[in-house]
Amino acid sequence: MSDTVQPCTSRGAGDFCLTCLLTSAGLLAAVIASFAYLDIDFSALFSRESASGMGDFVASFFPPEAAPAFLQKTAHGALQTFATAAVGTLFAALLGVFFALPAAGRMGEAPRQLARFALNVLRSVPELVWATLMVLAAGLGPFAGTLALALHTIGVLGRLFAEAIENVPSTAELSLRQAGSGSAVAFLYGTLPLVWPQFIAYSLYRLEMNIRMAAVLGFVGAGGLGQMLYFHLSIFQQAEAATVLIAMLLLVLAVDAASNLLRGRLAT
Amino acid sequence: MSIVTHQLGLEHGNGFRALHGLNLKLTAGERVAIIGPSGAGKTSLIRLLGSALRPTNGRLELLGENPWQQSAAGLRQLRTRIGTIHQAPPIPPRLRVITAILAGRLGRWPAWKGLLSLLYPVDIAGAQQALARLDLADRLFERCDRLSGGQLQRVGIARVLYQQPDLILADEPVSALDPILADAAIAQIVAEAEQRGATVLASLHAVDLALKWFPRVIGLRSGQLAFDLPAAEVSTDMLRDLYSSEGSIVPTQANDPALLHALTEPLPEITDPKVVRLDSCRGRG
Repeated sequence: MSDTVQPCTSRGAGDFCLTCLLTSAGLLAAVIASFAYLDIDFSALFSRESASGMGDFVASFFPPEAAPAFLQKTAHGALQTFATAAVGTLFAALLGVFFALPAAGRMGEAPRQLARFALNVLRSVPELVWATLMVLAAGLGPFAGTLALALHTIGVLGRLFAEAIENVPSTAELSLRQAGSGSAVAFLYGTLPLVWPQFIAYSLYRLEMNIRMAAVLGFVGAGGLGQMLYFHLSIFQQAEAATVLIAMLLLVLAVDAASNLLRGRLAT
Repeated sequence: MSIVTHQLGLEHGNGFRALHGLNLKLTAGERVAIIGPSGAGKTSLIRLLGSALRPTNGRLELLGENPWQQSAAGLRQLRTRIGTIHQAPPIPPRLRVITAILAGRLGRWPAWKGLLSLLYPVDIAGAQQALARLDLADRLFERCDRLSGGQLQRVGIARVLYQQPDLILADEPVSALDPILADAAIAQIVAEAEQRGATVLASLHAVDLALKWFPRVIGLRSGQLAFDLPAAEVSTDMLRDLYSSEGSIVPTQANDPALLHALTEPLPEITDPKVVRLDSCRGRG
């Protein structure tokens, strides 16, 4: 009744795991070897000159430029960055649904493979590369940035939407088709109510990421805060750059908070 | 003729024969109950007759047409005239009750009307009326995930009442309802069928409900017909025989076999002598 099985008994000192020790030693050796190979000179990092040099550089950012005219310009830049990200994500979400339907196998095997391939191509080209191409195609400015974000995000959202559609139970939609309704309407009544909360949550999450990305895209000439930052840093106007950085931080925080709030509401 | 089958059979991909050699004829306006032990093929038969599954053997005619010789449009047209009440209502949880009910007529509505109804319900009165028959009118604008299992099952029934099909198929339509509500729900299905001359074929778990509301009763066992008789001619011996695989206990609303089983059988003893100590030896082999 109570012959408790003990698959292993205590072995005293044998409890020390030889494999663990050897693994740790190996990792340590690899880390030391990496430092030696990269020739990192920590003494330079912590030397008096470098410390004061860094201190001077950081100090030159303060106080941030606060002239009303410049603040207005920054606000305009922030709005441009937000608009770039928002429009890009919206386009991507709408087109993502169109790609997701064939990619989820709704229209047969050939369209499925084709849509998946297209989404993979869109997704595997990074935003910065799309932005460089779009600047060539559409000229400098936020339009290029919007297109670049939209193209990459279609690839991401289309794939996520397709997986969402594939993973929800199909009984609701099938039962409607069994009562004679057309496939499009059956999808809207049977499957869309199951997946749209996920669609919105994914889109909001991508919006957060695209805000940060839109700021970076400015560096290749796609407008907004990023372009301002690049401009002022390159002519050593650190005070102006500091204002732009603060604006970026505030924008990211605001969008994250708003999207968290929305996603929390959706969960209920 | 509402339903005609000839040597109808269904074999699953793994070689399991769910149904074989079924010959059935249901005239328009007839009400027939299917009873039988679990696994007898009741659900398979309902799915075949609802053109949800394609038979592997035999012939099938629904409302005068062979569903599997129709064009895609013809099959859709035929399906709008068949309403199936499912045991687990296939309704997305976020849908509002009214939308779930109006979805019953999507097959007959043009696509634009279905789209419009997603934005604003196009037939509030119709849905309200269907729901009122099942005593749920106050839940019309509730979300379906706020309903209990029994309420949701009644919404599923209301959807088919609203669909107004010529052939009503029901797969254990009142399994989640208590006896009084179950009786009332079946009464509504029967009233709807009588009013419009629709045919009803319902699989029922409770034999007393079947005998009370359905003039003709079909006993199904191991995928074959055990009997097909007027309700008055079904004897207790036939029922005992039908349910012999379940200890000859004839399930009724009053004596749920699961309950009886729990009362008469001793609880299985939990006497597994092997207790493995898990955390004393992780990471060692």
